[in-house]
Amino acid sequence: MTRCWLRPGRTDMESGQKNAEEGGEIRRLGKRFRKLDLDGSGSLRVDDFMSLPELQQNPLVRRIIDIFDTDGNGEIDFIEFIRGVSQFSIRGNQQQKLNFAFRVYDVDKDGFISNGELFQVLKAMVGSNLQDAALQQAVDKTILSADRDGDGRISFHEFCTVSGSAPEPAASAEPTVL
Amino acid sequence: MENLWYVAGTIFQLWMSVVVFFIMLPAMFGLSLGVTEVYIQVLVKILEWATLRIQRGQQEQPSAPIPLHTGIIERVGGSMEEEMWQLRCSRPEAAGAFCLSDGVYFCKKGLESIVEDQVTQRFSSEELASWNLLTRTNQNFYYISLRLTIIWGLGVFVRYCVLLPFRIALASTGISWLVIGTCVVGFLPESSAKNWLSELVHLTCYRICARGLSATIHYHNKENRPQKGGICVANHTTPIDVVILANDGCYAMVGQTHGGLLGILQKSMVRSCPHVWFERSEMKDRNTVTRRLRHHVAAKTKLPILIFPEGTCVNNTSVMMFKKGSFEIGGTIYPVAIKYDRRFGDAFWNSSKYNMVSYLLRMMTSWAIVVNVWYLPPMTIQDGEDAAQFANRVKSVIAHQGGLLDLAWDGGLKRCKVKDSLKEEQQKMYSNIIVGQNHIRNTKTCSETREDQ
Repeated sequence: MTRCWLRPGRTDMESGQKNAEEGGEIRRLGKRFRKLDLDGSGSLRVDDFMSLPELQQNPLVRRIIDIFDTDGNGEIDFIEFIRGVSQFSIRGNQQQKLNFAFRVYDVDKDGFISNGELFQVLKAMVGSNLQDAALQQAVDKTILSADRDGDGRISFHEFCTVSGSAPEPAASAEPTVL
Repeated sequence: MENLWYVAGTIFQLWMSVVVFFIMLPAMFGLSLGVTEVYIQVLVKILEWATLRIQRGQQEQPSAPIPLHTGIIERVGGSMEEEMWQLRCSRPEAAGAFCLSDGVYFCKKGLESIVEDQVTQRFSSEELASWNLLTRTNQNFYYISLRLTIIWGLGVFVRYCVLLPFRIALASTGISWLVIGTCVVGFLPESSAKNWLSELVHLTCYRICARGLSATIHYHNKENRPQKGGICVANHTTPIDVVILANDGCYAMVGQTHGGLLGILQKSMVRSCPHVWFERSEMKDRNTVTRRLRHHVAAKTKLPILIFPEGTCVNNTSVMMFKKGSFEIGGTIYPVAIKYDRRFGDAFWNSSKYNMVSYLLRMMTSWAIVVNVWYLPPMTIQDGEDAAQFANRVKSVIAHQGGLLDLAWDGGLKRCKVKDSLKEEQQKMYSNIIVGQNHIRNTKTCSETREDQ
């Protein structure tokens, strides 16, 4: 849990300061966790999150909760909560954020984004405002442009290349033949 | 035994003379003896010293946890479109189409809400920037120095053993005189003398109650004070708002009839001046309510109505959605902004956490209540504007003056859920972004597109 926060090579004073800040953050998150845990069970379920009005209107709230739940038991305990939040922490790095973004789409957590998974998530984001056919087009197009090794799905490496910070020359983009 | 009665009698006489000469007479004429002002100045000096001492203590002990003032998550402001564009790293060929980083936007927003959301934080007390020597606000702070602890201990003694009994006695005196006074005035026949006397009784007793809370109220722009036949509209933080506003003018209150002591108070108040009390069954019928209020406003000689359109108590950092019912009555609206200084005591009533009695006890054991009240220029509904838009306009004026955040969320979310239409709105907004530049054609089929090319 502390791996992502501690960095090597700091002096004692600096690491003391760092520990103080992290201690403050964890304490604050602990308070937040206790506040969200409406029934005091020690773990958060979907209902506890859904008590936040801003989350109720978020189309991907189930995905977020699913990503937090690393052991897959349907509930989020405090360790999973801290780990999940730290990915978007002020101190988080780009790699962590990309990792998180990948897991948004990888519904079955097998390390690849398949056509069906991408369609499922995109459908959640647009609701009934676009036809399925148009969505399928967008999905196919995205997979075509991102898929380097031709296996029809997107691996983490391909994902980083497409949506990471590395700039892609425009000429190598796949022609959009539909 | 007789000695006891004698002692009790002397104490009572002493108390009454103190109240009459030092509190009631000045209250009748709207004067102040300046005791509270001196008290506040002394308090400010002590709190400033305490803040400096705490900061110095934190610098000397870096390993102790620091209270967090900044957020934990990187928040980026801006609309959905701006943020998505940023996430896409401004790639020109991806503009207007679906991009893999779009999902990240929703997750980021979700995480921001999970860590700290804008709505539920309005329903609990705001954290202080520095400890104000009250035990109840001591959340992140810890032992720093002996002197600070001694001052804190002294503060506890002064607040609980000296100020609290005094305040309770004063408040009960004020309320009982209000009941008796309005009852007596109620016996008089309708005349201007009766109105004047009723106003005097109300003002005096509310001022006594305000002294009972050590309230220091600063009124600004008194020339905009609500006039007869108007509607006074203010942001709501606590039931004490009524006392605060009624210290400077007489209002017709609007509310539900209660039983018990509050019911007695309501019944006697309505004898001397026309407050508007509704039965619980009547409150459900919006038309009845609007009709009675309209009737009251139309008679231009009646006192201005006092309404809190948020409908519930919010924690004084923001103004939540104004219910449009109050703005459909017609008449001139006089907006008022109320802002409490939280260093001296948190006035927010968290009704889910404290009931009325424990709330009042907390108020009476705080340092003081310091509040700024701004009277804003009157507003009327304009042509082509409906009640909801008018309500929003008034709300933003109040929020701007009071330095509060203007939120569109409904205060009723304290107790109920968000409508599904809001989620669909988010989905619609996103669909518009990706349909935007015809990269995803919603109407043409696959084969038609191929023919075009």
